[in-house]
Amino acid sequence: MSGEDEETAKKGFRLLGILDVHKVPCSREAVLHGAGGAVVAGLLHFLATSRVRRSYDVGFAGFMLTTLGSWFYCRMNNAKTRVQQRIIQDGIKNKILYEGTRLDPANQPKAEAPPGPS
Amino acid sequence: MAHPSQLGFQDAASPVMEELLHFHDHALMIVFLISTLVLYIIVAMVTTKLTNKNILDSQEIEIIWTILPAIILILIALPSLRILYLMDEVNNPHLTVKAIGHQWYWSYEYTDYEELGFDSYMVPTQDLTPGQFRLLETDNRMVVPVESPVRVLVSAEDVLHSWAVPALGVKMDAVPGRLNQTAFLASRPGVFYGQCSEICGANHSFMPIVVEAVPLKHFEDWSSRMLEDA
Repeated sequence: MSGEDEETAKKGFRLLGILDVHKVPCSREAVLHGAGGAVVAGLLHFLATSRVRRSYDVGFAGFMLTTLGSWFYCRMNNAKTRVQQRIIQDGIKNKILYEGTRLDPANQPKAEAPPGPS
Repeated sequence: MAHPSQLGFQDAASPVMEELLHFHDHALMIVFLISTLVLYIIVAMVTTKLTNKNILDSQEIEIIWTILPAIILILIALPSLRILYLMDEVNNPHLTVKAIGHQWYWSYEYTDYEELGFDSYMVPTQDLTPGQFRLLETDNRMVVPVESPVRVLVSAEDVLHSWAVPALGVKMDAVPGRLNQTAFLASRPGVFYGQCSEICGANHSFMPIVVEAVPLKHFEDWSSRMLEDA
């Protein structure tokens, strides 16, 4: 078990010595998407204009935007999942805690649904 | 607990620490992107063949490098303020524990129902049993029930100390004559280690904190046993 942890720790790769892409959720996907976006943007610009230096700049801008977009999209989905997980956990805990008591959510009178069209 | 040569945070054992970890990841990604941008600009400036000694102003780039950092700061500040206020929320604690710093040990008092109090000294290195951690173990642990909000009132008897448990995302200064309040919720059972975080004399490094989160039944058994032994 500790051997596996040591192997995982050794495999950890820090981009620029800062970002451990193995440990930070969404970082690996964001950087990979960013790299793909950089290649696509730079290549397209070069094919259209044949300007090498400017294509590098456009490729880099593509990297930044794609990384940011992928990062925020993945983090927002993770945050929503986390909130749902907490709601479910609280629901399970409350059900176990209050089962059989007057506070049991299953015993609460449900609000009457509005009558449908006759 | 921390493992050797660890650089990052310990795994979170409380919801607040989880949020802090997520915020740290968010800020780290922004720092990484800014560093990448600066590195790219440096390489581009060093390798360019363009020279123009007659540029007097450049409104466009000045607008960009004013507005963009402001946006980045807002992106960092909003989650930061959210967590700041989240940490200050009053959460109806189920248990109150007093943690009092002395030179050089901690004492804990559970006075909600009975008068339970004990001291927590570091286990000397020569007295450790196999599997115990050097400079981290104590003879008596602060035991709390898992999944229950706990209020900790921190103070000190003599000089400044600080009660800190990284895994729970808690650090609070222990000031003589002052009562500081903090709270946490241990979201999983386990043993969480911390160390005094304010210089307090010769043995400042040798007064650790150990919090053990156990199911409520085990907590009740432990407190009954401690009261009998007292």
